[in-house]
Formats: sequence, structure tokens, C-alpha cells
Amino acid sequence: MKLSTLAMAIGAVVLATGLAQAQDKTFNIWWFEDAASAQGVTWTKALEELKANHPDVTVNFEQKTFAQLQASGSMILNSDQAPDVLEYNKGNATAGLVASQGLLTPLDDAYTSLGWDKILDEGSLTLSRYDELGVYGSGSIWGISTYGEYVSAFYNIDMFEEAGLAVPTSLDELTAVFEAFKAQGITPLALGGADTSGQHVLASLAYTKADDTWISNYQGLKAPLDTAPYLFAAQTMVDWVAKGYVDKDATGIKDPDAALQFTSGKAPVYISGTWNLGNFNSTIKDFKWGQFLVPTPKYSVGSTGNLWVIPTASKNPELAKEWISLLLSPKYQTEQANNGGVSIAADPATVTNPVGQNAAAVFKEIADKQGLGFYPDWPVPGFYDVLIQKVAGLLQATLTPEQFADELKQAYDDAQANQ
Amino acid sequence: MATPSTVSTEDKRSFYLFLLPGAIGFIAIVLVPQLANFGLSFTAWKGVGTPRFVGLQNYERLLSDGQFWGSMSHTLLFVISMTIIPVLIGLVLAALLFDYIRAEFGETASSLFRAALYLPQILPITAAGVLWGWILSPTGVVNIVLRAIGLGDLAQNWLGDATYALPAVSLVIVWIQIGYCLVVFMAGLSRIDPALYEAAELDGAGWWQRLRTITIPLLAPEIFVVVLTTLIAALKVFAPIFVLTAGGPDNATLVPSYLTYYHFFTTQRVGYAASIAVVQTILTIGLAIIFLRFQAQQAGKE
Amino acid sequence: MADIAPYSNQRTETPAAARDMPRRSPLRWLVLGLLTVLLLLVLFPFFLAVSNAVKSSVDYATNGPLALPTGFDFTALKKFWDVADFSRKLLNSAIISLVVAALGVLISLLNAYAIGIGKVRGSRVILVVLLLGIMVPQESIVYPLYYMAKASGLYDTQLAVIIIFAVIQSAFGTYLLSSVLSSFPKEIIEAAEMDGANRWQVLWQVVVPILRPSLFVVGTFFFIWTWNEFLIPLVMLVSNNNQTVSVAMGLTRGQNMSDPTLQAAASLLGMAPTLIFFLIFQRTLTRGVVVGAVK
Repeated sequence: MKLSTLAMAIGAVVLATGLAQAQDKTFNIWWFEDAASAQGVTWTKALEELKANHPDVTVNFEQKTFAQLQASGSMILNSDQAPDVLEYNKGNATAGLVASQGLLTPLDDAYTSLGWDKILDEGSLTLSRYDELGVYGSGSIWGISTYGEYVSAFYNIDMFEEAGLAVPTSLDELTAVFEAFKAQGITPLALGGADTSGQHVLASLAYTKADDTWISNYQGLKAPLDTAPYLFAAQTMVDWVAKGYVDKDATGIKDPDAALQFTSGKAPVYISGTWNLGNFNSTIKDFKWGQFLVPTPKYSVGSTGNLWVIPTASKNPELAKEWISLLLSPKYQTEQANNGGVSIAADPATVTNPVGQNAAAVFKEIADKQGLGFYPDWPVPGFYDVLIQKVAGLLQATLTPEQFADELKQAYDDAQANQ
Repeated sequence: MATPSTVSTEDKRSFYLFLLPGAIGFIAIVLVPQLANFGLSFTAWKGVGTPRFVGLQNYERLLSDGQFWGSMSHTLLFVISMTIIPVLIGLVLAALLFDYIRAEFGETASSLFRAALYLPQILPITAAGVLWGWILSPTGVVNIVLRAIGLGDLAQNWLGDATYALPAVSLVIVWIQIGYCLVVFMAGLSRIDPALYEAAELDGAGWWQRLRTITIPLLAPEIFVVVLTTLIAALKVFAPIFVLTAGGPDNATLVPSYLTYYHFFTTQRVGYAASIAVVQTILTIGLAIIFLRFQAQQAGKE
Repeated sequence: MADIAPYSNQRTETPAAARDMPRRSPLRWLVLGLLTVLLLLVLFPFFLAVSNAVKSSVDYATNGPLALPTGFDFTALKKFWDVADFSRKLLNSAIISLVVAALGVLISLLNAYAIGIGKVRGSRVILVVLLLGIMVPQESIVYPLYYMAKASGLYDTQLAVIIIFAVIQSAFGTYLLSSVLSSFPKEIIEAAEMDGANRWQVLWQVVVPILRPSLFVVGTFFFIWTWNEFLIPLVMLVSNNNQTVSVAMGLTRGQNMSDPTLQAAASLLGMAPTLIFFLIFQRTLTRGVVVGAVK
């Protein structure tokens, strides 16, 4: 046989094998956002397009539960079972931890080469960067967020109009609004004291007294806790309970029950996050509703959304990056806003859903003044549970505001010193 | 014909073969991991990468950990709701159902009650958590009933109030545990010779006396097994707290198992969690040994 | 667990209480009444599961969890079934629980045979060591088991979960069955040995037939306990296709949301299989035991 023929034959075999390998490529993708949420709907659509663009790839999607990833995230990422791309919680305790454990692929190159830098500015990357200790803010880019979230006050427009009240622009005005409702015999604020909204109200109040240094130190675990903002927040909440603005029994109820008080028209105000938008959008039919930011000089509770991360063990990282590009594209950013989600980079002019339009606008308002204070439980792993416990104690009056602040400080300082 | 009353030692050795599968399984699944856990308790580790040896540091931390000591004290309280109360109620109910109800209303009625009372054991704990969360919530049925009968002042925020959370969780635990004790005791009652009861009856013994002098002593093997197993379960109780209160409010219902779960999976301080688990296991073993000694003594007395 | 002796007479005669003629009428109804109240109290949470599983979301939002449903709405049940791929989860749970029950009983039987009948030396010590198996908190063995499973390629397999639980449950089963077998009548065994049976044959042809009811009782407990386990399956089973019913129930609680009617539907569907299993095998518990051959 002539050498050239042999070479061609070998070449053909190699090519065929390569093609065959590309043929049976699979793409495993996981997320845990609820299927009915704005993210869930948008991502499902985007995945369909990805499938259509790559007919030779077997796309396997698994709807995960947050509980599973929270409990065994590191274990999964450290094994063969890791998917090619997945949604992961942002923050030191979650994404930071697995990044520092070497379980994720850095995305710095992709950021510039795939044009993501045109869509997400550096400010949107604060929670994508983690250093070798797993602390956010600096270091490589380990994940990309395609949506935002924040805490605001949902309010019943009809009830406000009936009572002749305007949207408050300061904390004093907010208190006055509460007092007005109370005078009519309505408990104004729905609160899930045994759940997340408790600590979010606390943080929203605390952040009104926070400056850049405080936020930077707090989230970065840079110094022992300065309790002044939390003390103020605690005193305010206790005050609210004493004046009857919040139900004393609220410590036993979870967020869904608190949300129910709002959606059923019993409570005019509910301070919680944008993850409620999907539910409110579909459930509230009887009254007009809207959102206003808890009045604050700069900082609000909020952040960029959960991250898309690519495990080191990913077998198809290129397709994973393509997925992220797809979600960041104008088409899907607009799609997300139209589904009621908070898009980071949607052009408001193209958004048709008023809820999504408003949400994107509010988020932009916060982001433009760099007012994303993030979430209060982030600095310390396990702080989420500590906050839930302590806020419950505060609301039940088993802890005074001073004791509350002290106990928070103890837990925080312990972690800060032992990094 | 001479019957061999003792087994020759050669034959006895073949019995050891029967222990082989169980032994292999036990070593692999229980012994080795326990030893690994013991080793981990002397390290600082995040679950990924290499553990770092730190000597007794974790144990020193334990001594000054308020959460840890709190959880230990709560365990003692849970012994009441997981062992003492269910065993007592189980005994009385078993006697009642087996003797009285079976006599007056027949086998079916007795079986029906037993099946119904056992149902809580079947329910997945996550489901029980949701359902009881509804019942015990401030707007739940317990408070509704209290208000309806005029005892509205007693209505509480059962799971959200640090004073009442532990009793509330205990109630749920009793609800779950009664069935187990009941079923075991009723099965045990079936092997007691009815002639004994007839004799006592003829001597003029009432229901309570029969219970005390015949039922309880003869049911001793079942009672010991149930008390020991529920005691061990009480010491490592986890699921009801995980589902109902997550250790709160403000650590009011924290137990060692929840604390270890918290440090194993949430804070990922695996070495520290391992040390708590070691202490917990040693205490459980200690208690079990004391109990078994007691049981042997009682058996020896007869 | 019951120290069920397989050879005493079954109590089929009416107990002495029946003959307390004068005290009959009023007291029995009072006792029955009290027990029925207790029954209803105990069953109330189940009623909640049923009633809320067939409520529409709007109904729940308006009337809360304690009101009777205003109509029947099977959306929640259907949704959970589909979203959780429930038929698959049922199959997984059933396979795992059944195999664990069978395997666990087998291991317990073999151990108990050696300890209870063979009375091998060190039986006492073995039993105490086995109790260790019951005493370990599961969290403390998860990390080592995870690494072992990864190393042997069994991570994310049902086999791993089966092996783990078969061993854990058998600790309890051994303890129980060995105390039963320790009072097994020697004469029966010796008679079989005289006929030339070896240890293995004695076990399967003589002991097991007599012990069968106890084995069923132990197996039933194993099935139910394994079905409801959630920590180890949560950690060991990664792919949705491998997960069990108890893990699937976590699906109803999202990161920030939880759907109450969905949770009720999940509770109902999650407990239905064990309920059926239990009711079927309830009769073996009733029957108690089989009459021995000697008497």
C-alpha cells in the first residue's frame, strides 16, 4: 500500500473517531430555581435553543433541590457525578468555599474572549470573584450571574390609597405609614419571624446606617463587628413589635405564611425579596400591588443572583460557556424580564412585562449607586441559622437589643478571628 | 439413646462462618468509618483536600462551647419524651388493647386501634414536620381549640417560643414513638400464658394488680429491649428537630446530632463536628453499658 | 423490638376481663370512647395531609390549612408526581427498601443463628459491639462512607445505599433475633442433627420455618425504617434517577419558596406505600407466632 494511502486511511479513522466522540457528547446541566419562577421559565426556554443548536449533543437536565446542594455540594463537585454546568449559591460560605477547594473552573479568559465584559461590568462581578481563602471581592472569576435580586417592601396599592397614604421616602415616613394603619386596626407589616424575612427586615434597617467601610468590613470579615447598625435595627424592630406594627406571634410563622398574609390582603406591607415576584404575579388578582425600597441613603439588601459555575470535573466546559453566553444575550435578558425576573442587562425599552420592567429598573437604581449590600448571613458559614435564632429571640423579647447585638458580635468575631 | 448435650469444639467453629458476612459488613460500614471519624476529630478539615492535624484543639473548644453543653442538657429532656413517656403509655395501652378491648370488642377492634396508633411511625419525618408545623403554628389547630374552649390565654407560639418549643417538639416525638412501643408490647403479650391471668383472677386480683404482678414482670424482655433502643434513639435524636425547629428558637431545641449535622454540612468544620460525634458516641456507649449491666442484674435476680 | 418466642401457645382464649360480668356495660363504652378520642387525635395530622393534598392553591391561600377543602383539586398531586418523577422514585425506594429488608434479615439471621443457637464464645461481646452499630449517629459516618463509595465506584448507586442500610439495620435485627433464638428448644435441633443434618441444613429446614413470623416482623420494620431514611440517601444518591421518595420530598421546599399543597401532596404520596405495606403485614404481627413442634 502506498504511504499516502495509508496516511489518508489513518487520518480518516482518526477523524471518524473524533467525530464519533463529538457525536456521543453529553451535556449535563443542573439548576434548582423553581420551574415556575422567572429564572426557571427563562432557562427552560434557553435550554431548548441550546438543544436545537447542538442536535448531536445529548442534553441532560436535572432539577435539583437546594437542600441537596447545600448539604452535599462539595461532595458532588469532588466526584465524577459533577455536571458540566450548574447553578450554585453565591457567597463565601457556598461558592467561595468550593472555589477555594479547587472544585471550579476559572472563567477569567471566557469573560473577555466571549464578550461577557461588554454585558457585565466589574461591579456585577463582585460576587463572582473569590480569593484563595474563599472570600469574595477579589481573585479569579469563578461564576457568572445572569440575574439580580433585592429586598424591598411589597405594598398593597389599594390599601394605601384607601388610607390616603403615599409611598414613604424616609424611615420616619415609613413609621408614620405603619402608625396610620395601626390606628385603623390593621397590623401593617407581615413578617416571617422564623424564616428569612426576619433577618432581611433586620438587615434592611441596619443597612440604612451602614457606610462603605462598614459594608466592606462586614462582608469581607475584615474586622470585629461594629454593632451600631445592628443595634439600631434591633431597637427599631423591638419598637415596631411594641407598637403593634408586627405581630408578636410572627416568630413562629414561616415566609410562605407571611406572604400569604400579604397576598390575601390582610397585611398591607411585606418586606422580602424579589423571589416572591413569580408567586405574587400569578396569585394576586384582587388588588394592585407594587414595590418600594426601604428608604436608605445608599445600601439595600440585594445582590446579583445565583451563579452559573463550571466544575473542574466538567466534561464539556466549552458548551457550558456557550450556555452562559446564551443567558447573557439580549434575547434572554429581555425574555427573563418579560417573565417577571430581575434582569441585570435588559434594555427596559424592549421589556413588555411591567413587573419585570419595574424590577429591572429598581435593581438598576440600586446597582448604579453601588448600593448592593448583599445578604446579612454571608460573611460567616452558618450565620444564616444564627440570625434566624437570634431574631426570633429578639422578637420574642427573650433577648434585649443589646444582648442581641452582643450575641451576633460573639458569633461574628469568633469566625473573623479564626479564618 | 445417648443425645449429645454439648457440641464438640470442632462443630462450634463452623458457627463462626455464619458470622462472616455480618462481620465484613459491620467492619466496612460501621467500624472503619467510626475509626476514621475518631481520627478526624483530631484534625481541622473542610471536607475536601487534606485534613490538618491539630491535636486536642477541637476537644478544648468543645469544653467552652455553650451550644454543645446546651445540646447535652436538652438531650436529657428528650429522654423523657422518647423513652419514659412512650414506654409507660405503650404498656398501659398494650394491656388495655390486648386484654380489655380484645375481650369486649373483638380482635378486629384491637387490631384497628393498634394499626392506627402505629401510623405515625410510618410517616416520613419530613411530612410529619410539615403537618405538625401547621398544627402548632400560632394560627394552628391547637390554638384554635384552646380559644374555642375559653382557654385562649394559654394559646402560644408553640414552635417559635423558646419556652415552649422543646415541649412542643416532645409532643410530636411522643406521637411518633407510642406506636413502636405498643406494637412490641402487644406482640410480647401474646406469649404470656393466659392461665396465669385466670389464676390471678380467681385469687381476686383486679386489672391493675394483674398488670403489675404478672404482665410487667413477664414482659421484662420486651421492656428492656424497648427502653434500651428508645434510649439510644433519644441520645441521637435528629430528624424531628431538623424538620420542626432547626435547633431553635435561639438554640432552645438544639441537640448534639443537630450540632454535628450543622458543623459537618453547613459550616464544614468537619474535624470539630467529628469531635462532637465522638463525645456523643462515648456517652451513648457508656449509658448502654450501664443499662445492660442493670438488665443482667435483674435477670440474675429471678 | 419484640422478643417473640416462637413456641408458646397463642393466646386465643378470651382473657379474664371478659368474665368480669358485673363491671361490663358502662365502663367498656367509656374506655372505648376515650380510646377513640385518642385515635382521632393521633390520626389528625394524616387527615391534614389528605385534605390539603386535594385543595387548590387558591383554596389554601384563602382558607388556610385547617379548613376542609371546598372542592377536589388534584393539581398538586399530579404536579408532584410529574415534577418529582414520582413513579421512578417509588421504584427506587421500593427496590432499596425491599432489598435492605431481605438482606438485613438474612444477615441478622446468620448472626443470630451463630450467637443464639451456636452460642459461640464471645457472643456477649459481639452483641455489645453490634449495638455500636445502632448507636452511631449517621452524620459521623457519612464522610468516610462517601470516600469509600467514591473509591469503589459506588458513589451515586443504589447498591451503596443498600449495603449501608442492610448492615445498619442488621445490628438491630441481630440483637433481636439472637435473644429469640437463645430460647429456641434444643430438642428440635438435636433431633435434626441426629438425622444427619449439618448446621446449614438445620438453619434452613428447621429453624427458619419456625422463625418465619419473627423474620417477617423484623423485615417489615426494616422496610419502613429504610423507606423513611433521608440523610444518607440525600448524600449518597446524586442523580435524580437514583433518588428515593424521602429525598424527592425536599423538592417541595425551594430555596425561598415552599408550596403548601404540594407539600401535602408529597406527604400523602410519600407515606402511602409504607402504609399499604404495613397494613398487609399487620396480620403477621397479629398472628404473633406459630405453635412449636415440641408441645
